[in-house]
Amino acid sequence: MLEIESLTAGYGGVPVLRDINVKLGAGEIVGLLGANNAGKTTLINSLSGTVRPISGRILFQGEDITPMSPRRRVERGIVQVPEGRLVFPEMSIRENLLLGGINSRARPNRRRQMDKVLELFPRLGERLSQNAGSLSGGEQQMLAIGRGLMAEARVLMLDEPSLGLSPLFVQYIFEIIDRLHAEGLTILLVEQNLNLTLRHAQRCYVLERGQVAVEGVADAVRNDPRTKSAYLGL
Amino acid sequence: MSELYQALAQGLLIGSTYGLLALGMGLVYGVSGVVNFSHGDFISLGMFMCLALYSALSLDPYVSVIITVPVMTAIGALVYLFLIRPMVGHQFLMVVQLTLGLSLVLQNGILMVFGGQPARTPSVVESKLLLLGDVVLRVPHLIAFAVSFVLAGGLYVMLRSTDFGRSIRAVHQNAHAAALMGIDVGRVQVMTFALGIGILALAAALLLPGTPIQPTQGLRYTVITLLVVVLGGMTNFVGIMLGGLVIGIAEAFGTIYLDGPLGLLMPYIIFVLIMLFRPQGLTWSSSR
Repeated sequence: MLEIESLTAGYGGVPVLRDINVKLGAGEIVGLLGANNAGKTTLINSLSGTVRPISGRILFQGEDITPMSPRRRVERGIVQVPEGRLVFPEMSIRENLLLGGINSRARPNRRRQMDKVLELFPRLGERLSQNAGSLSGGEQQMLAIGRGLMAEARVLMLDEPSLGLSPLFVQYIFEIIDRLHAEGLTILLVEQNLNLTLRHAQRCYVLERGQVAVEGVADAVRNDPRTKSAYLGL
Repeated sequence: MSELYQALAQGLLIGSTYGLLALGMGLVYGVSGVVNFSHGDFISLGMFMCLALYSALSLDPYVSVIITVPVMTAIGALVYLFLIRPMVGHQFLMVVQLTLGLSLVLQNGILMVFGGQPARTPSVVESKLLLLGDVVLRVPHLIAFAVSFVLAGGLYVMLRSTDFGRSIRAVHQNAHAAALMGIDVGRVQVMTFALGIGILALAAALLLPGTPIQPTQGLRYTVITLLVVVLGGMTNFVGIMLGGLVIGIAEAFGTIYLDGPLGLLMPYIIFVLIMLFRPQGLTWSSSR
């Protein structure tokens, strides 16, 4: 469904990612792991189009989307839930959700999609007119995921969804992720939390200093000594 | 006592238009972080366009807006695309320098076309007055007041209730997150800058009847606009309109109660006093 071929990308011409090859099949949940500064966020920002590649290409359902703007990628259903949630703090939950569905493909179905999101996160429905900035971290994460779903995502890329959340909220968020996966959504899960990701993902890629160090099914990645070295810098 | 009411009424009426001028600057700053020091010269440009349309077609300034608003909006879009956008993200002072340079270009361009003599653009309502007891209200000021508040209300509703308005606010709050929602951030910035300049075209027509104009007046409007946005908060809608009223009233009190240059200084004196005793500005917002 989504294929990254020999991608080199970075900032100001300086590569952060080198020769990355990653594949996501339809309906898969794939983990992208790595220590801090391994290049995980740069990779999903490259998929979102907010970081321009230096070389290589990105294919979505067979179409080369490398030159496409972030807007056109969202219209195709490649949606990112960013690290730190990045909800719009001075806007209500309702307004945040509406903005999630602002792309031309999702806009006509926003009302129906909002009902689905509120069914998934009833807590958001109880306070639709409350400003997002006044929500707890866990509630903001619900909103960020809900906002991503409003875009009628075909591939949902979650960047560090467990970051800064209480264990209870982490469990809840991962139950939601499992539920979305069970409904057939393709998910790219970007995490530092190795064990958590290996429990939920079918396949994983481990990044180390901008390159794929390990890839394979979750169990194989868990048992590969290079995974530990990628995390510990050994 | 009637002088007091007169000053208050006059200040409120003209202050509403100052608020409108500042809303344009606040919108632009909100989405692109650009403080446009050529703001007042665009008002000047709008006024001289009305003068040109009166000279060529005998159009009243209130009718001229049918032409000046779309033309100025288009000019705003072009200026943003070709001059300002390449500089956004660079050092703040470079953008300041650019807009100051643009101010000089506009001033001198107007000077070359219209000459340096003060000019007036007649309007059918410019000498019409309305008497409310002892208070004399100029009809152009009443029109300016009503249009400014209707337009400000319209902008407020647009920002709250439309996708474009929510996009403007989203880009203001977090441009990266807005891009991830599929909002074309660059397009929103161009359209907002163009909208800000289009608003100035309308404000220019509202301020014009009965007011002598000259090419170098732009700086005065820029300074007044800056006073208003600093008082009200760069992106605080209600604060900006309130700031406009305060500056308008200070100006009217200065003109009526004080002689000569001291009267003209009144808005600046009031501004300094407010900043000394309430540095956070007039409202509760900290966005300044």
